Amino acid sequence: MENVTMSLEELLKQKSLTDETLLQAAERAESYRILPDVSVIKIGGQSFIDRGRAAVYPLIDEIVAARKDHKMMIGTGAGTRARHLYSIASGLNLPAGFLSQLGSSVAGQNASMLAKLLAKHGISYVEDAGMSSVPLFLEQVNAVVFSGMPPYGLWMRPAKDSLIPPYRTDAGCFLVAEQYGCKAMIYVKDENGLYTANPKTDKNATFIPKISVDEMKEKGLHDSILEFPVLDLIKKARNVREVQIVNGLIPGNLTRALAGEHVGTIITAD
Amino acid sequence: MEQLLPQTKNTLIMENKSSNIKHITSGLATQSLQDKSLTNPVAGVNPIKLLPWLHVVKIGGASIMDRGHSAILPLVEEIRRILPEHRLLILTGAGIRARHLLSVGLDLGLPVGSLAPLVASEAGQNGQILAELLAKDFVSYIDKPTISSQLGIHLAHARAVVGSGYPPYHNHEFPDSRIPTHRADTGAFLLADALGAASLTIVEDVDGIYTTDPKGPEAESAKFIPEIGYEELAKQKGTLPIDKVVLELMENAHNLKRLQVINGLVPGRLTAALRGEHVGTIIHTAAGK
Repeated sequence: MENVTMSLEELLKQKSLTDETLLQAAERAESYRILPDVSVIKIGGQSFIDRGRAAVYPLIDEIVAARKDHKMMIGTGAGTRARHLYSIASGLNLPAGFLSQLGSSVAGQNASMLAKLLAKHGISYVEDAGMSSVPLFLEQVNAVVFSGMPPYGLWMRPAKDSLIPPYRTDAGCFLVAEQYGCKAMIYVKDENGLYTANPKTDKNATFIPKISVDEMKEKGLHDSILEFPVLDLIKKARNVREVQIVNGLIPGNLTRALAGEHVGTIITAD
Repeated sequence: MEQLLPQTKNTLIMENKSSNIKHITSGLATQSLQDKSLTNPVAGVNPIKLLPWLHVVKIGGASIMDRGHSAILPLVEEIRRILPEHRLLILTGAGIRARHLLSVGLDLGLPVGSLAPLVASEAGQNGQILAELLAKDFVSYIDKPTISSQLGIHLAHARAVVGSGYPPYHNHEFPDSRIPTHRADTGAFLLADALGAASLTIVEDVDGIYTTDPKGPEAESAKFIPEIGYEELAKQKGTLPIDKVVLELMENAHNLKRLQVINGLVPGRLTAALRGEHVGTIIHTAAGK
């Protein structure tokens, strides 16, 4: 086969981007991690920010204290306003891509609010185009706030039977962690992590401290705690091969997770 | 459980006493969007066609634009002649410069999410070239935000606009491969489906899709496929003239029933395709079933 000795450079000049030999050669390219000392944390919309002061203020204090030792990119969820928008817009049969644009604006509102509370500590909110300035913010103040929604907008990949955008803020934050080659992805929610059933409605639900993506799918838990397409993204990820879900309502949990401790549910790729 | 209020009624901010979460009542207020059984109020419907008169045309980067004036000028003339008949969103792909970017970027070890926006900007350059050639026909190059929300005003005043075919996956490109997977065909498909466009035509430098690559080592055995379903095509091994992700997305297509891949080097093919004629390979999506 002529291709065996062809360099990636030659393959890229001559072959289709769907060519298997080219794709395999690209896989062998070196990988560079852009921000390997940074953790991405996602603050839930419905589960956290919608609780208002009672939940948010203590977490802000914890973030401000923790950033002395940890660098973090803080992404936000959308929450109840996005659900209301999705409910109205999908009732009007508007496409998933349009709902995605609306949801994006809500996650942005939450990011904007968090950033106001963090402002006096020098922590800023960066919008889409501002992502290029993230390294400077992290170098100077160890933290930055961003909107968790991915930028797909009208170009959102739709689900088969629903107009709800399948890739929302869980996916958006995970992909930021993966793209920047970050140290950890931590989801801050209002539950200790994953249970065998919904702990809000089922008294027999038992806690699962650690589980793989495949095990989650086998047990039928793939529709439970994270947006389900995130599980496939975790499996395919090259840098971030596990995520942790922690209960941010318990003081100290986030700080411990940032230090690499196991305080919630860890979901692993393998 | 609070009842699901009709969505048009006034909504109330209400405290859910058990959890202290400030909800707005809606069909989705207190439910996990993750649980499909709970999102049923919004499941199983097809979106409305936002721009049913729109025809989307994707022009290949390597296959057309990189050939320079000999391929571009006749195609521009053809587009100019058919402008009075249609309202077009013309989207461009990326070509050999994108390959060079990938080569340098991969050598530097950059992740796929860094490469995606760079490659996308190459598609944008091709779009700008095409738009300039059609400028005297009131055609402009427009950016993503304009495509998202202002196609109506642009196409009310001009018969066509040009944009980059690449979807804005950028930093959020999937880690499926070191090469960005959401490319111009994918972007064109997602847009045409979301907007409820009348048609999607993919303009390449081959007559359509063959049983094996007509430019590859087994070219002699290559047979032309005039019409095929996405499932069957997905089973075919080897390279294709379109992005493979498009076949994946066809499973979830809501509005777009088919697309046609045509040869833009043959005069008259684009005109015929836009008039609904079968002049290339038609691929059927799940929406057509």
